[in-house]
Amino acid sequence: MGIHLYLSMIPEALIASMLTPEEFGVYYAVGSEKKSHGQAIFFELDPDFRHPELPIDEGFRRCVPHEDGRPKNSIYITVYRALERVALDAIRHLYLVTQDGRVLGLEGTSLNIPDDTGGLHLYQEIAPVNPLIVSTLGAKAFYNLIVKNPTSLLTLPAVCFAELRLGELASNPEYGSVGDLPYANIDHLRQCLSDLRSKTVNTKMVDRLSSPAFPYRMLKSGVFVGNTEKLMFFPLPSQEELRTRHYRWWRSANM
Amino acid sequence: MSNTLWLVLSLIAGIISVVAAFTYFKWVLKQDPGSERAKRVAGWIRDGARSYLKKLYGALGMLAGGLAIIIAIVFGLQKDFGYGLTMAITFIFGALCSTIAGYMGMTVAVEANVRSATAANKGLNPAFNVAFKAGAVMGLAMVGLALMGMSIVFLITGDANLVLGFSFGASTLALLAKAGGGIYTKTADIAADLVGKVEVGIPEDDPRNPAVVADNVGDNVGDVAGMGADIFDSYVASSVAAMLLGAALTKLSPDQRTLYTIFPLILSMLGAFASLIGVQFVQVKEGGKPGTSLNNGTIYTCIIFGVMVIAVVLLADIDRAVLWATLAGLIVGVIIGFTSDFFTGDDRPPVVETARVSTSGAAINIITGFSYGLISIAPSVVGIAAATLIAYFLADQSSIVNGVYGVGIAAVGMLSISGMIVSSDAYGPIVDNARGIAEMAGMPENVIEVADVMDAAGNTAKAITKGFAISAAALTVLALFSAYSSEIALAVEELGLQAIDMTMSLANPIVIAAILLGALTPPLFSALTMLSVTHNAFDMIEEIRRQFRADPGILAGTVEPDYVKCVSLASQDALKALVLPALLAVVLPLVVGFILGPEALGAFLGGAIVTGILFALLMANAGGTWDNAKKYIESGFFGGKGSDAHKAGVVGDTVGDPFKDTAGPSLNTLITVMSLVSSLFAPIIAAFHLFG
Repeated sequence: MGIHLYLSMIPEALIASMLTPEEFGVYYAVGSEKKSHGQAIFFELDPDFRHPELPIDEGFRRCVPHEDGRPKNSIYITVYRALERVALDAIRHLYLVTQDGRVLGLEGTSLNIPDDTGGLHLYQEIAPVNPLIVSTLGAKAFYNLIVKNPTSLLTLPAVCFAELRLGELASNPEYGSVGDLPYANIDHLRQCLSDLRSKTVNTKMVDRLSSPAFPYRMLKSGVFVGNTEKLMFFPLPSQEELRTRHYRWWRSANM
Repeated sequence: MSNTLWLVLSLIAGIISVVAAFTYFKWVLKQDPGSERAKRVAGWIRDGARSYLKKLYGALGMLAGGLAIIIAIVFGLQKDFGYGLTMAITFIFGALCSTIAGYMGMTVAVEANVRSATAANKGLNPAFNVAFKAGAVMGLAMVGLALMGMSIVFLITGDANLVLGFSFGASTLALLAKAGGGIYTKTADIAADLVGKVEVGIPEDDPRNPAVVADNVGDNVGDVAGMGADIFDSYVASSVAAMLLGAALTKLSPDQRTLYTIFPLILSMLGAFASLIGVQFVQVKEGGKPGTSLNNGTIYTCIIFGVMVIAVVLLADIDRAVLWATLAGLIVGVIIGFTSDFFTGDDRPPVVETARVSTSGAAINIITGFSYGLISIAPSVVGIAAATLIAYFLADQSSIVNGVYGVGIAAVGMLSISGMIVSSDAYGPIVDNARGIAEMAGMPENVIEVADVMDAAGNTAKAITKGFAISAAALTVLALFSAYSSEIALAVEELGLQAIDMTMSLANPIVIAAILLGALTPPLFSALTMLSVTHNAFDMIEEIRRQFRADPGILAGTVEPDYVKCVSLASQDALKALVLPALLAVVLPLVVGFILGPEALGAFLGGAIVTGILFALLMANAGGTWDNAKKYIESGFFGGKGSDAHKAGVVGDTVGDPFKDTAGPSLNTLITVMSLVSSLFAPIIAAFHLFG
């Protein structure tokens, strides 16, 4: 049994485990006797990755099978400031896990990163903080603003975020149809989007304490992760591909 | 044509229907049952459904046996031992025929679900064919057995009162099958959803849910066996009511009187033939709409039936008045069926509005859905009133029959195409199960898509049938109400009793008290059945949670849950919950009759009929509105799945579940049973009562 290294985003943590990514996703979402469960987002890292501030070797040493031979589910190595210390080159895959344990693995790229500059945007920051933000900036420019070239005192050493769909509100915040947008307090969202048009700001906070466990069906293009070195993008397959090739995950994500 | 020949033809029509049902049954069994996994999943559902029906029919057998002994003694004492025994036998015969129809329907349903899912791999047409032909087994078997039963009883005895015994047997079983099935299905459905979807977050029909098999079993015992028994009961009761009213046409010659007594059987025979032809029209092409095909089948059946009735009335020189009464019932029945779709159909204004206001929370959703349910009563009640008045006044113009006979015939006209209606209705739970099996057996996406298309049409068919069943029951009980009064008059005449005033004046405090007691019964019955659902669902929720706690492997998908535990829990709880509602239906009319007298019992029935019809329509339609409002939101409006509106919609749908599938559909059977008990015991109540 090999040892895997996982970087969880909900909550932010670095974890050693003897479970494969699919098994770990089920375990992490569904829980064990401890009854912790819920939607999960995690990266699988190169197990050879090391960082002086992270006691990974100690975690691996403790990650041994149970007495009855069952693999060790998890050894938490750190539960904060994990993302900022992980080199993005160590990331292998991103896994999106639904609350009932359906796991979808996504390949990352640092090349073809979409930068949709038209219309308004909605970003859910997943780690290290979780605000819900509206912005006039595309994903790449948004990342630059909060990580690389901050214009305010607020800056993050690394960030994982997702762009969520805004539907008609992206171009018509005042009167666009809500359609299937499940966001709470939609009037406030409309107001924030309208403010972006009337005021000279690029971003506006919609919700300070937004849950990072957003509905996957709202993902516009995929998940972004970046630090001061680079930005990576994990595109979500098309709806058609999800329906035909990942039906169980798709159905669970659409609950 | 002689009356005996008509009866023989009715019997033959019944036999042909049953043979056709068997032919379809065998055809369905020949279809591919699919992979081992699919067969295994279907086996769980089949075993669960059979185990419940075995328990239900075992309990009902004992109840029917007990009631038969009481009937034999009471009627033996009233007339003679032979009469009492014959009445008891016809009662048992009625219960038996209803049992066979329900069992046949359910047996084919639990075989067809997996075959329909497997056929969906080849496309919509083969999958639809399997599901609809299986539904037709229920429809045709029900009509055939009812026709055979009534024809045999009348052929042998020549006494419409003994056919009433047959009807009472069928109704008693129907009440318990419908209410029990309703309690079972919603217990499992609510428990599976509340723990599965809300607490744990697993999708519908997920095999990890310990209650998923019980949920699918519930579709069969509630919507196939229960609804089949319900329509069987209305079908027979409407014929019997009209037969009794025909037998009361004392001014006619014996031959003529017999002709009008058996005319309801002639209509049923024509309806059976029309349904046999109509089901042949139900076909769907690839990419077609199953709902349209089902509706077309109903429309063609109506037209064929109408033409047949006109031909028979003209050729056999039967009074034209009964033709108009029949057509009035048929047309109004179809209109009511389709208008109930207005209040519950997807994209219809009431559903869209209920979905829209869900953005303001569950309370507003519930108030809106409930209000539309109340409004939905109006068109049906106006339709029932119109059919009653049209049938009454057209028939009353005749020198041969009278107005109340016309009302009875209108009810028969409405129910005569039950073969087709039940075929469409039984199709619903079969495709619902097919979808569940496809999901649980891990069938490919194209199968799920086909199953989804078929399932949507099944829901519409179900809504139409409910409106139809309630309206038909309303007309039936109005006819039974008249039959009860004429039974009292006949008893007074035959037994030489002192005249009994049946004017039911509102100035009489006993009448007022009886109306209030009658009006109370349907709400009380509804409350008892719905409380049974919540109580039983609470037990099942605890069991599901216990299983998830006891073995995390269940949620992880590595360990199979204990499906049998949930199935048996639902079965035993549903049966226990039936005792009090059953007593209410059978004992209360007798208590009122023997204590307050025949006039008060008439008033009691009047009160029960009024609130019964109103509550049945309200509950069936409000429940349908809430259900489809949730589905409308899920289809991508007002925030879609996961939004606050959706959460409110889910609450409304959960409230509506026992409304539309437990209490609402059982109420028409309740008022039918109470009317039949009253008519059956009318001669004894006329002779023995404390007041009045």
